[in-house]
Amino acid sequence: MRYLDGEASPEERARIESEAAGSTELSRDLTVFRMMKEDLMGLQFSPELRRVSVWDSVHSQLTRPIGWILLVIGTAVWVGYGAYLYAVSDGEPFEKMATGAIVIGILLLLVSVIWEQYRAWLTDPYKDIQR
Amino acid sequence: MRPEVERELIKKCRAGDSRFYEPLVRAYEQPGLRVALGMMGNLDDARDSLQEAFVKAFNALGRFDITRAFGPWFFQILRNQCRDNLRSRQARFRMEALDENLEIRPADPKTGPDRLQERSAVKATVWEALSMISEEHREIIVLKELQGFRYSEIASILEIPEGTVASRLFHARQALKDALVDMGVEYP
Repeated sequence: MRYLDGEASPEERARIESEAAGSTELSRDLTVFRMMKEDLMGLQFSPELRRVSVWDSVHSQLTRPIGWILLVIGTAVWVGYGAYLYAVSDGEPFEKMATGAIVIGILLLLVSVIWEQYRAWLTDPYKDIQR
Repeated sequence: MRPEVERELIKKCRAGDSRFYEPLVRAYEQPGLRVALGMMGNLDDARDSLQEAFVKAFNALGRFDITRAFGPWFFQILRNQCRDNLRSRQARFRMEALDENLEIRPADPKTGPDRLQERSAVKATVWEALSMISEEHREIIVLKELQGFRYSEIASILEIPEGTVASRLFHARQALKDALVDMGVEYP
């Protein structure tokens, strides 16, 4: 194989060439493999295919997590700050408790829906099917 | 791309700036696409695997030994990604008619038009025959014949000794020859 692929040493090459000269079978095998090699190496991409780059898709996948992290951190900071301001503001305690209960209830419902969707996605047998 | 340029780009990427990854992606995407296409058999899956491999490689740059070349390391990731995708999608090597995407050209400049025309007819058959051999055989043929890696590079990508590369390549070529003969291709 090394001879066929041009990676044999000069000694190996000389030995194989002298063996091939005396053996029809070896000579035939080498010819067949050489032709196959040529056919495979002849498979080339069309020029149109070469122009399409995957960089944009790769770049968007690399930057997307950073975007999500910043969004989550920013939202958490604002929500926390808002909750703090609301808690220390003037107002009846029962109003604050009622509003707090509504907000917490909505958040719990939202989290449970997201969690359900995530679990359904994990067991979805068609998730890798491309549409 | 020169190794020292690669090293500089990787250092910048490690610092968190993904813009410096672009020259690396552009340098390796065409050879990568050839390998992925050879392993996956169709363009959509090949592109998906290639993108995922680039993303994985970027995320793993922190663990990359900077004294090594990027190419073999990346192709190792790409090869594993192709294998994972073939398994996770429970997909067989899905052969696509590639007449529009592949073309035949003479590998040897001395090849005459008669020989070229004759071998052009074999193109589709050779491509199809790749689907009939095992994954292990197909990947080594893709790395050697479609991409033209040297034995030492293939050994590094597949993490096997060079001697094993030679013997596996021999068996892969035998398997491909048998597949081609079964499909009616005549060799002298």
